[in-house]
Amino acid sequence: MPAQFNRRFTDWRNRLAIVFALAALTPAAALAQASGEPVTIGVSGPLTGQNAQYGAQWKKGFDLALEEVNAKGVKGRPLQYVFEDSQADPRQSVAIAQKFVSDPKIIVEVGDFSSTASMAASSIYQRAGLVQFGFTNSHPNFTKGGDFMWSNSVSQADEQPRLAKYAADLGFKHVAVLYLNTDWGRSSQAIFTQSAKSLGVDVVASEGYQPDEKDFRSTLVRVRDAQPDAIVLISYYADGALITRQTRSVGLTQPIVASGSVYSPKFIELAGEAGNGVFTESNFFPGDARPEVQAFVTKFKAKYNEEPDDFNAVAYDTIILLAAVIDKYGLDRTAIRDGLAEIKDVPSVIYGEASFDPQTRRVAGARAVYLVVKNGQFVLWDGKKPSAS
Amino acid sequence: MSSFIDYTVNGLVIGNIYALLAVGLALIFGVSNLINFAHGSVYTIGAYIGWAAITFLHTPLPVTMAIVFVACAFVGMAIERIGLRPLQGSARIAPLLATIGISFVLDQIVQLVFSPDPRALPNDLPDWRIAIGGGSIGALDLLIAGVGIGAAALLFAFLRFTKLGYAVRATAQDREAALQMGVNVNAVNSTVFAIASALGGISGLLVGMYYNHIDPAMSFQATLKGIVAQVIGGVGNVPGAIVGSLLLGLIESYGIAFLGTTYRNLFAFVLLILFLLWLPNGLFGGRRVLQSEPLTGAFIAPSKPLRLPRWALWVLTGAAFALPLVISAPYLLQTLTNAWLAAMLALSLTLMAGTAGQISFGHAGLLAIGAYASALLTVDLDAPTYLTIPAAGLITSALGTLLIFPAFRLRGHTIAIATLAIGEVVSLVILNWESLTRGAMGVTGIPPLSIFGHEITAAREVYWLCLAIVVALALVQTRLLSSHFGRTLRAIRDDDVAARSYGIRLDRYKALAFAFGGFGAGVSGAITAHLYSYINHQTFDSQVSLLALTMVILGGMGNVVGAILGAIVLAGLPELFRLTAEYRILIYGIVLLLLIRFRPQGLMGTL
Repeated sequence: MPAQFNRRFTDWRNRLAIVFALAALTPAAALAQASGEPVTIGVSGPLTGQNAQYGAQWKKGFDLALEEVNAKGVKGRPLQYVFEDSQADPRQSVAIAQKFVSDPKIIVEVGDFSSTASMAASSIYQRAGLVQFGFTNSHPNFTKGGDFMWSNSVSQADEQPRLAKYAADLGFKHVAVLYLNTDWGRSSQAIFTQSAKSLGVDVVASEGYQPDEKDFRSTLVRVRDAQPDAIVLISYYADGALITRQTRSVGLTQPIVASGSVYSPKFIELAGEAGNGVFTESNFFPGDARPEVQAFVTKFKAKYNEEPDDFNAVAYDTIILLAAVIDKYGLDRTAIRDGLAEIKDVPSVIYGEASFDPQTRRVAGARAVYLVVKNGQFVLWDGKKPSAS
Repeated sequence: MSSFIDYTVNGLVIGNIYALLAVGLALIFGVSNLINFAHGSVYTIGAYIGWAAITFLHTPLPVTMAIVFVACAFVGMAIERIGLRPLQGSARIAPLLATIGISFVLDQIVQLVFSPDPRALPNDLPDWRIAIGGGSIGALDLLIAGVGIGAAALLFAFLRFTKLGYAVRATAQDREAALQMGVNVNAVNSTVFAIASALGGISGLLVGMYYNHIDPAMSFQATLKGIVAQVIGGVGNVPGAIVGSLLLGLIESYGIAFLGTTYRNLFAFVLLILFLLWLPNGLFGGRRVLQSEPLTGAFIAPSKPLRLPRWALWVLTGAAFALPLVISAPYLLQTLTNAWLAAMLALSLTLMAGTAGQISFGHAGLLAIGAYASALLTVDLDAPTYLTIPAAGLITSALGTLLIFPAFRLRGHTIAIATLAIGEVVSLVILNWESLTRGAMGVTGIPPLSIFGHEITAAREVYWLCLAIVVALALVQTRLLSSHFGRTLRAIRDDDVAARSYGIRLDRYKALAFAFGGFGAGVSGAITAHLYSYINHQTFDSQVSLLALTMVILGGMGNVVGAILGAIVLAGLPELFRLTAEYRILIYGIVLLLLIRFRPQGLMGTL
């Protein structure tokens, strides 16, 4: 199942433009001040198919970061990437993996998007000794594929305890959890339940649902019979919005706390009125006052004339991070792996400063803000607990 | 007790939604004996046309409904003109495959124009609700029920009491006789498709409003649920479709009540299979016979197969083996390895669908069984892969045959629906049987292929292994086809009544064909699992099944060389034309349509 967090609207003209951009296949490197043979990152991700919009979001983040990096380059040489379209399909991501590992110009690989596509290719990267850097891979086993699998994706071990803390801070004692029955949802639910218990929040019902599920009325009867004082959603924005609407239309009035993956303007559009009052949190919020977030938002708006989302932010972070590693530790594939373990405190929009745990090959300590939906807008939570219903 | 009432009400509410879909499907089936797989696509188109009208023209609901009605009626007429009319007189299954092709094309067009992102579809109905039990129903629920029951009643009256209704029923009973009596059969079919599709479009609009959510992927699920509801009610029976839908809604709702939400679709598909087996005519089908032709539903266009001389085949095989010595690009070898893995699947399907005439829409289920069998044996029991891969083949062969065995007595469309359902059931069982399959988390850390301590990981070695298996399977299959066994299978396919009167036990021969085909598919799935090192219940989805079917039709049903050729073309082309990847499904759909219409015997001819 794709580790899709927030889908966003991308209109078809945009996507056509990507097809043309692909035809050129020589991204931003041209305007680099740095000179010499470019240093190449291989990207495997969806540019077409069901998940095409995410690939488009990635590119925006990558290109912005490259502009910055190439002001001085890495080791004096310009940095560039080659984007191969996998449609997030494992059959294609393994073929792309073979292409990348046999191309000596590629010194590090980024992606793929979904766990199925990424982890199918992991063994090829591991055997060839090329770092596979998955920045949207939340599957807990992704980095266990080998010592060449690294990820700066916000780990659910980080995010779910925070969601549980939010529920506890809001004063809830008995919650019902609805989760998406995918690798992501299942592992998130397990972590949430565990940390909720340690915070004194009782999980009174736990219901998994299929990604293509649309009708939740009967599920909500089960939820109601468990008598929770709040409903927790471990959902993406589309299904999260469906549940939120139906919760209200069947007459349940319990407050809803949703995982950060519903954070998207689309959630508000799809949930309509019912979305108001939903509590959530996010690792990236353009209204966040942290200077690194504001700097990124300003640059992004100047280049694309739109608000960035968290996909843009993680893509940007990834290139900045890899550029720092390459610049410091060299152009060798193995040196990059060793460098990832050693590098400390790279500036990051999501983490503030990112360093890896060499054991888990992940980054801990993502920053986050508590949000609530008010009048059809995500705003920072004002610390007010909802009145008991 | 109050919860029981709530579950009942909720079941009826969702059944209400299925009814809108099932009525249209039933009408089309009643007249043209066709399960219209493009019905869900019309439903999606209706929703998007409604969205466009509301967003750009700000139309009120009645006007929106009128626009959708008219537009979708035209789409329906186009489907009849393209998918049904030119195929009169060809194999029964041909129009069904054509509607699948049309649904690919329509869904893909919607996705290209509107993007895969879901959209909100607001409605301007008053916001009042009636409390029933612990829940409530709103204005939209009542409108949906009104449209569903109203449409069914109108259609019932139309078929019973009007002159055109007589003509429709006459056409349904006997097309040729109706033609002789002066009924303009084509006009009747066209009218029926227009009415049914208009209704389908309206349901898309209303359901989209109900959820405030439309997306291009809504089509497949809608078709599936509509078909299940229809089979329960009795295919082609309009009032039956309503009852079947409500019953399906209720069973799903009670299923959720007893076991939980993830079991919903499992209930729906198991119910479908049970009905197909014990009450294939549904609750209201009465004695209505599904079909009386001796044809078992095979899509076989009689043709003279294109025979390559034996030496040419050996030269080609030799060249394929020598290729990695000349070209060492792992990317190319990986792509061809994918083609060989697809070829194993296509060989299996071409035997079942082509030679034995049992078309299968759930073939990916066999891949999944093989993949999980080998993956779990190696991961949980530390068995070596050179044992687990043949074991996976055998397990798939046994399990697959067992699953499909009860469906052998089904014919024509029902076998297609049953296999589709079996494929879905396999995937849902994998998802829900967490203690064995690890559920949604999938199986990670599957070891690579190895023989006696030597790991087969280099692209070249994997390529040789897969190619060798394909060649071996192809040789055995060719040998089988020219034996007594192959001739018997073809006899069953071409005329099962005649075959039976010669004393052939149909079930046993079909089971043998499935056992052999299941082995190849299982091996393919198993190797894939070891290549990927990670699989989950979605690695082998229904798209893979349809892709396999396209390969087989492209190559020529029953044709061994054709199946391999079809696999190379369809697995290799997307890599060659990466830029057109966005249009890939569109291209599959068009290829499928063109083949069915103009070259039903495929590239290499049927055998």
